[in-house]
Amino acid sequence: MTAEGAPASGAPSAGSVSSAGSVSSAGSVSSAGPVASNGRLAGAPPARNWIAERRARSAVLLTLPTWVFLVPMFFLPLGVGIYLSFYDKTLGFPMEPSFVGLDNYRTDVLSPVFGEALVVTLLILALGLALQFPLGMALALLLHQQMRGRGVFRTAILVPMLLTPVAVGLMWRFMYNPELGIINWWLGVLGLPGVDWLGAPWPALFAVTFVDSWQALSLVVLMLTAGLASLPTSPEEAARVDGASGWQVFRHVTLPALMPVILVTLMIRVIDGFKIFDVVFILTRGGPGTATQTVSMLDYNVAFTFLATSRASAIGVVLMLITLPIYFLWRRVSTLAERS
Amino acid sequence: MTMTRRSIAAIAGLAVAGLALAACSSSSTSTSGSAAAESAPAGSSAASAPAEATCEAINVFLIPSPSADAMKAMIPAFTEATGINVNVSEVEYGTAHQKALLSIQSKQGAFDVVQFDNTFLAAFAKAGALTDIGDWAANSAEYDISDIPPSLQNYGDFDGTKYGLMLSTEPFIQWYRQDIYDKLGLKPATTWDEYKANAEAIQKSGEAAGQMMGFGPNTTWWWMQLVWSFGGALYDSDFKPTVNTPEAAAATEYYKSLLASSPSGALGATGDDVTLQFVGSDIGQMVQYSGYAAGVFDPTSSKNAASIAVAPLPAGKVNAVELAGWNIGIPSDSPNPQCGWKFLEYMLGKSNAKTLLENGAAAIGRISIIDDPALQAKYPYLKLLNISPDAVVNTYPQIVVWPEFDKVASDNLAKILSGEVPVQEGLDAMQSALEPVLAKEPK
Repeated sequence: MTAEGAPASGAPSAGSVSSAGSVSSAGSVSSAGPVASNGRLAGAPPARNWIAERRARSAVLLTLPTWVFLVPMFFLPLGVGIYLSFYDKTLGFPMEPSFVGLDNYRTDVLSPVFGEALVVTLLILALGLALQFPLGMALALLLHQQMRGRGVFRTAILVPMLLTPVAVGLMWRFMYNPELGIINWWLGVLGLPGVDWLGAPWPALFAVTFVDSWQALSLVVLMLTAGLASLPTSPEEAARVDGASGWQVFRHVTLPALMPVILVTLMIRVIDGFKIFDVVFILTRGGPGTATQTVSMLDYNVAFTFLATSRASAIGVVLMLITLPIYFLWRRVSTLAERS
Repeated sequence: MTMTRRSIAAIAGLAVAGLALAACSSSSTSTSGSAAAESAPAGSSAASAPAEATCEAINVFLIPSPSADAMKAMIPAFTEATGINVNVSEVEYGTAHQKALLSIQSKQGAFDVVQFDNTFLAAFAKAGALTDIGDWAANSAEYDISDIPPSLQNYGDFDGTKYGLMLSTEPFIQWYRQDIYDKLGLKPATTWDEYKANAEAIQKSGEAAGQMMGFGPNTTWWWMQLVWSFGGALYDSDFKPTVNTPEAAAATEYYKSLLASSPSGALGATGDDVTLQFVGSDIGQMVQYSGYAAGVFDPTSSKNAASIAVAPLPAGKVNAVELAGWNIGIPSDSPNPQCGWKFLEYMLGKSNAKTLLENGAAAIGRISIIDDPALQAKYPYLKLLNISPDAVVNTYPQIVVWPEFDKVASDNLAKILSGEVPVQEGLDAMQSALEPVLAKEPK
């Protein structure tokens, strides 16, 4: 505040504070005011301040449409959600909701069911990332090569990203069918026993992870391919001239240079992973039992099946709090990536 | 910088204030909507009316289903007959009940007719979301409630008040492959022991998988039927769960034992999967709601359509029959309840019951429909809708917390069926998990 108000001429800071105090009104009115002995308008803020104000106002005006959108669409529901999480609002109950403090957090968040859902979410996330990144990197490196049919290959890789998750879920659900699905049919052709993909806990978890990864792979490949294309070629060429093998070039030159892109992609996938819902809903509804019930699926059940609005709000608030640090990490990594 | 923050804060404040004003104005709008609703015969006797109903258009809230499609097909004729236009809003099942309840509770007067699953009847009724249509139903010659068997007349009733009309009558029935039965010399089961023996005989023959029930996300549909058949109950009159009694344990043991003669994949099968597998692969018999009949007997979707036959549900210690089906009623905030009733009368009345069925809806168990020989020949399952007066008809439990009860029960059943825990231990865990759920039920 003091620094911003300090006049360029090095006038005492006390005076600058008072002028800063009248900045908004004086800035425009002062042109009609008396002229001081040093030629500046009396009471007028220094030129740098005036420009800063103009910029600030422009910034406000330019971001106004965003605020108009964000406040009703994001901040208001968020506020209402947080507010409701401290009440016992349930749509099917006749009584007026009353304040229950942290009861919803105690019963629905500090519960084994929520714990299980969180573990399932993290498992799907970890297994998915372990599948998506090595495979995504391999495909991106392949696409980075100058080879015939690269365009067709690239288009084919991107197709899953263009499909809606519901359609993907339905398609895979049919393929996973133990009696009629093509996956068990192929296993049979190979002389292997069929698997009850969606009826047993671990196969179901794997099935959900695989479908989510199948669709997310497009994004990973796209991001990594773009990252590879943006890298300068000279360091790799220099390394090769120095006698580095292909693996050494990749390990010590390409991978470090690509790290910011990898991290940004990783963060996007982690955020996506925490809110995984549609594929689970279509494939297993969280079953068998709670074997594939993610936090989002649990929240859906509480909100839309049990009609327990307040309890669902509490789960939603906690899910937001869990993902918030990841968002800030993503922002930081994005900034690093931009700088590099 | 400070200036920017202040300005942003001020603008955000203004936006919030604007929204608050908008909310106030919308609440005043809803007040008038509410006033309209109050002047309507919500919750009151409405013996007058249908003839006086005058309105240009009504708004109907439907959930995608064969019954909804059949009604939509009849809308042009309804408009021609009454001069009332119909605007249809369809919302998929997953969010339909929440959206309908939110709309009605905010008294926007958005809908004049609302379709809902019977599992949500208690929630809708307790929330004051529905109009009492008892008098209209009792006095309407067109609806003719006497054409509906007594065991089905109260399907849309809650605490003695009629809030909904039965849009489809869907009891559990036994479906079997006549060709496989003939080959193996089997007869439709009349008891659960016979049902299991048939399933084991089919499985052993190698002709097909023995039987199909759902053991996946909708597992409670079948489990509670068996609990009732074996003489058990889900909870007592004090809303204490009774799921670990000897009767419930026997039913659960029996249910689990059927897995041995079920096709692989039965453990993950949803309600729809049960039918899809029965019509798409070789399975000797299944227990399923009659409402699936249209798909089962359609040769374009069922490879075994010609050889499928139906029989009444086997009986246990108690001759219990689980009855499901859609409900449809008039929201308590409807601006045109009388016109809404006209719509219901037209769609569900005696005159058009056949048309509704022919348009693909699951049948309503009207005597004039289920006793019609021509319709019986075309729809063999119709005669099974005439549930024996000796049978104990059980609908889904009419409690507000039923959806949560259902989920907790099916989560625990999954552990029992997969062998993760023994039956009694699993039922004891279910009992403990259900106690706090039932404790939430508003008394």
